[in-house]
Amino acid sequence: MSGSRNLTFWTGFAVVVAALAVAPPLLPPFWERFVTEILIWGLLAMSSDILIGYTGMVSFGHSAFLGLGMYGTAAALLLLPPNLWLAMSFGLVGAAAVAIFVAYFATRLRDIYFAITTLVFSQIFYVIIFTWTEVTGGENGLTFRQPPLSIPFLFETRFSRETLHWFVLAVVVLSYLVLRRVTQSPFGKVLQAIRENEPRTRAIGYHVERYKMVAVMLSGLFAGLAGSLYAIQNKFVAPDFVFFLISGEVVIFNVMGGMGTLVGPVAGAAFFWLMREAFSRFLTEYYLIPVGLIFTAMVIFLPQGLLGFLRRRLNE
Amino acid sequence: MVIPWELLVIQLLNGVIIGMILALVASGLTLIFGIMDVVNFAHGELYMLGAYMGTTVMLTTGNFWLALGGSALTIAALGAVVQVTALRPLLGRDPLTTILATFGISLVLQNYALWQYGPVARKIDEPFTGQFALFHLQFPWYRVVIALLSAAIILALWLFMKYGKYGIWIRATTQDRVMAAAMGIPVPLVYTMVFAIGSAMAAASGVLYAPLVGINHAMGLDVILRAFIVVVVGGMGNLAGSVLAAIFISLLEALASLWVSPAQAVIVSFIVLILTLLIRPTGLFVPTPK
Amino acid sequence: MLTLENVHTFYGKSHILHGVSVEVGPGEVVGLLGRNGVGKSTTLKTIMGLVRPSQGRVVFEGRDIGGWAPHRLAHLGIAYVPEDRRIFRLLTVYENLRTGLDRGGITEQRKTELLEKVYENFPVLRERRNQAGGTLSGGEQQMLAIARAMMLEPKIILLDEPTEGLMPRMVTQIRHIVDVLHREGVAILLVEQNVPMTLEVSRRVYIMEKGQVRHHAPAEALREDQTMIHQYLGV
Repeated sequence: MSGSRNLTFWTGFAVVVAALAVAPPLLPPFWERFVTEILIWGLLAMSSDILIGYTGMVSFGHSAFLGLGMYGTAAALLLLPPNLWLAMSFGLVGAAAVAIFVAYFATRLRDIYFAITTLVFSQIFYVIIFTWTEVTGGENGLTFRQPPLSIPFLFETRFSRETLHWFVLAVVVLSYLVLRRVTQSPFGKVLQAIRENEPRTRAIGYHVERYKMVAVMLSGLFAGLAGSLYAIQNKFVAPDFVFFLISGEVVIFNVMGGMGTLVGPVAGAAFFWLMREAFSRFLTEYYLIPVGLIFTAMVIFLPQGLLGFLRRRLNE
Repeated sequence: MVIPWELLVIQLLNGVIIGMILALVASGLTLIFGIMDVVNFAHGELYMLGAYMGTTVMLTTGNFWLALGGSALTIAALGAVVQVTALRPLLGRDPLTTILATFGISLVLQNYALWQYGPVARKIDEPFTGQFALFHLQFPWYRVVIALLSAAIILALWLFMKYGKYGIWIRATTQDRVMAAAMGIPVPLVYTMVFAIGSAMAAASGVLYAPLVGINHAMGLDVILRAFIVVVVGGMGNLAGSVLAAIFISLLEALASLWVSPAQAVIVSFIVLILTLLIRPTGLFVPTPK
Repeated sequence: MLTLENVHTFYGKSHILHGVSVEVGPGEVVGLLGRNGVGKSTTLKTIMGLVRPSQGRVVFEGRDIGGWAPHRLAHLGIAYVPEDRRIFRLLTVYENLRTGLDRGGITEQRKTELLEKVYENFPVLRERRNQAGGTLSGGEQQMLAIARAMMLEPKIILLDEPTEGLMPRMVTQIRHIVDVLHREGVAILLVEQNVPMTLEVSRRVYIMEKGQVRHHAPAEALREDQTMIHQYLGV
């Protein structure tokens, strides 16, 4: 990458992060919460992009990672002393456990088989969570107290709307930088080679299965992180988040924003939630009718997503 | 826990009946996949809309059989529209894009149903209420009829594919799309026809099954998942395999629900899928290629 | 009847046909010779609508058919026998033939006649009519591919290397069927590597090189003076 492009990127990055940091406290509370939530969904979308966009494995089961991240965090907050970092690590452990399970199978399945299998996997977790009422609260989910914002041995304070937003922003931006680094590393290049031509990548001598497993683990961990943040923000978890429709929404984020760009899926998530907000003003819960139509049209006419479309427009 | 053997027999019978309904849904799905390489995520919604359409016809005519036929025809037309508008432009692209497009359509159809019919579950009355004695309880004849009708529809599909003019068109197109076109077979029309037939089968199973359960806008979600499992376990695109897999899985679930709640019994089918993918990813009920 | 005027064709970015012009009159047998990879098969595919010409015209009976869907061309009376035969392997011989018979405006009686005619010319197909196409030998598959094309009652048949890889006995039989078709007034555009046979059955011959027609002469002239054949085909 040339120096000037690098400079443009970091300038753009700084501007966006600054805007996201400054703007929300100026917004009305509803929209502030909205932006925070979009950041969390954006993180989830980014995590799935590692699989969908970079490795070419369409996961229809990201709700399982998200959900286990949520329930792991919930467990820590219900059973242990309220500590933010402990709660988040529990969420990560939960997501990692699912990810290992899925990764094991991911190595043997391709294309639609992978899509269907991840879908079925997420449903296994959904059924378990939905029916194991004594532990998970079943259909009603679980509610708990928000842990205080803390830096060990330094300070501890209750989350305000602003600090929560900044905390989420910090986690999401850090995750973005890590994931960006990963996708630009040799490891990320191998993932993209697998997407382009799996047999050839194998023939060159790469252990494709191992790379895929790591990709699933990575993707699952960051999805779990998103789940953990969501649980902390909303102070409750419910099986609805594990249901496969959420996985479908994650795929929608990717397609709408533009797969394989990391930023694209985040934009896709924002676009989806804005549309949802706009349409539900006059269509209430039927907002998915226009959203579904727009999504289908984008699959057909804009396979590169909004970002790819804009990029082509700008280059012309 | 000791299970009385009468209960066992009844559960097995129920398993076969549910299995036949599932086979009917899955046949449509596997037909569409085998011929067009399309994974139809909206299949469950066509099943659900089929059931709703059945209630509409039932309300106006009061005749169950008219409801069955009318719903199948309407949903076939809907399927044709979906194929022409959303899937025809995707021809030749990665099959994964068809999952995405049909997923979008499933969202639209599901919420359309919610909008049109509301959240309260509806019901279709059984066309007849006769029962026969099975051990200590009365078993409704209608359930037996469902299984027989499903089998008859699947058999009719098989005969159509084997001997019908369009059946030969469809099989020729499956094997070599380009050569079929060169032989004067209107390939785009064949694809639309296949999708319409698959949709009609989904609708028919929706109407047949409706008297046993309430109809609601989310019923397609549960069915599509099972149908996917059946189709993978039976071997993608393999009609006979799907039928066997549907019965096999439903029997297992029926037996499992002797011990656990039906909601948990679903996990049995998940486990069958995972084992299939581990042991024989091409499908349990596919003959080993020579 | 069939005219190609300055046709250019691309596969992705590679330019295959560089302005090919070919003409076939009604009932005429025309040969298309050339080495491997000079664009002979692509010429046939372009006529059949399997590849879109980027430039130039394909005219059949006065209509510009460039870009038409293959199935419409089949209904117009153009039949195609591809190089790799492409029979429907899982369909029986009879079902393979039916793919060309089940079309609008044909009576049951006519269908029977067409079938009988083919079975007469290729008795082995009658014997194997209930066998899957994939189980036939290479020569039998070639016969089936031609027979299948005949079911369309075409005005012209595009034959792509029908004798490739066949035993001499089979070659004779293919030759025989070309004669039969010719007698019935069906035009044939024959792509071949088998030079002697092509010169025997054709009236005129085009020789292609590097995506262009380099030479065009009556078959008789080429039979007598083989310099052109040597120059372009190196035989």
